[in-house]
Amino acid sequence: MTAAHLDYDTLADLAEGLLPDDRAASADAHLSGCAECRDRSAEIANVTRLLAEAPLPPMPAALASRIDHALAAEAATTGHDVISLESRRGRRRMRVLSAAAAAVVVVGGGALVGNALTNGSMSSDSGTAQSQPIQDRSGSAAAKQSGPGATMLNESRGGAAAAGGHLTLRSGTDYTATRLGEQVSVQLTKGDRRGAEAGMSTQLTNCVRTVAQGKSPLLVDVAMYEGRAATVIVLPGADSARLDVWIVGPACSASDPAVIKHTETAR
Amino acid sequence: MSSVGGKQAEAVPDKELLARHAQGDPHAFAELVQRHRDRMWAVALRTLGDPEEAADALQDAFLSAYRAVGRFRGEAAVTTWLHRIVINACLDRLRRQSIRPAVPMGDDATLDAVAPKNADPTALHEVALDVTDALRQLPAEQRAALILVDMMGYGVDDAARVLEVPTGTVKSRCARGRARLAPLLGHLRNRRDGTGVQRAEEGGGAV
Repeated sequence: MTAAHLDYDTLADLAEGLLPDDRAASADAHLSGCAECRDRSAEIANVTRLLAEAPLPPMPAALASRIDHALAAEAATTGHDVISLESRRGRRRMRVLSAAAAAVVVVGGGALVGNALTNGSMSSDSGTAQSQPIQDRSGSAAAKQSGPGATMLNESRGGAAAAGGHLTLRSGTDYTATRLGEQVSVQLTKGDRRGAEAGMSTQLTNCVRTVAQGKSPLLVDVAMYEGRAATVIVLPGADSARLDVWIVGPACSASDPAVIKHTETAR
Repeated sequence: MSSVGGKQAEAVPDKELLARHAQGDPHAFAELVQRHRDRMWAVALRTLGDPEEAADALQDAFLSAYRAVGRFRGEAAVTTWLHRIVINACLDRLRRQSIRPAVPMGDDATLDAVAPKNADPTALHEVALDVTDALRQLPAEQRAALILVDMMGYGVDDAARVLEVPTGTVKSRCARGRARLAPLLGHLRNRRDGTGVQRAEEGGGAV
């Protein structure tokens, strides 16, 4: 062949019909007599094939649920103009009710952790606390009821939700499979919160949000499990006698909760 | 992009769902998200090449779509609008990334997110990684165009509407992108023959 070989750009443009007629004609003429350039042209077609065949993984379930929660939190934001007033009132009533249910569990147990209590007075009169604090804090409790994610999402908007947040412990406990229920109880009932209060990194916030699935955690303890670093996340159980306990690894994040163990314990 | 939604035989069209959302139906938007999330995830994951980044971008995108429903223009397909929001969220992240070093590829999380758990664990796994890796070598605009056209199977016209550029620009970005990828992916050529691998998602198809 006399003409110079065609480069990838020219061949790609030719395939896409982007070359002016005269150049396209000469390129075609060259191709017909040049195996090397035909080969290169096939490589370009192969790119399209490879891209088309590359697997498209479905959205991971953890991410789907994280997004659902984020949207639910968005919907729960007061003043959101998309939600009609009427449906918002209905929602709020429901949220206050479920906030009450969650708070009774926490207050009744005498525990000092959990969203519902972090920005209220840490009152110890648990006998009377059952209904009254709910009334006092219905606004902020409702705002937070949509899950730990709500706190983050609402931060930038200020308001009651920004004051809240997880109480996260670093109790130093080495949780073990055999003593898990007992150890969780100890942390939950420890009146004076002996462990240092830990900040929530974004990763941990996302992790807890993914695991909690909209529930308010009773306890988040960045500690150990069977001698290894692990975070224990305790959620309200299926009924008032049970606790839903998740143990996750340090890598726990929104897209992968890195669950080490998931179990129920007696409260 | 009316055919892009694929195989939905279900009753309520996307636009109707969006209208219901705008009127305060609390479930309409969630339904819309559920309908399109796999496709949007694929776009975000391929555009950003990193599952954590893609997850964050996608969450941002869905939230901003949720809030921006009032700005949806009725003449566009809902999927076109959603794609645009997702891609813009990804491109924003890429621009911010460009002032930091790129996340190195090849960690387990990336592999797991990119590769399917089923069939042909080795070959597909490697191809997925190679393709993701190769795509990262492209300028963001070429990458986005190629993801829509070659990977997701959208027509050039549809991609042009998503990206809000002329059709010719999409073609040119695709051609430049393919030219750049060809030598990078050349090694995958022969090995792939006869493996019978099919596209994970059939729906991307013809427009």
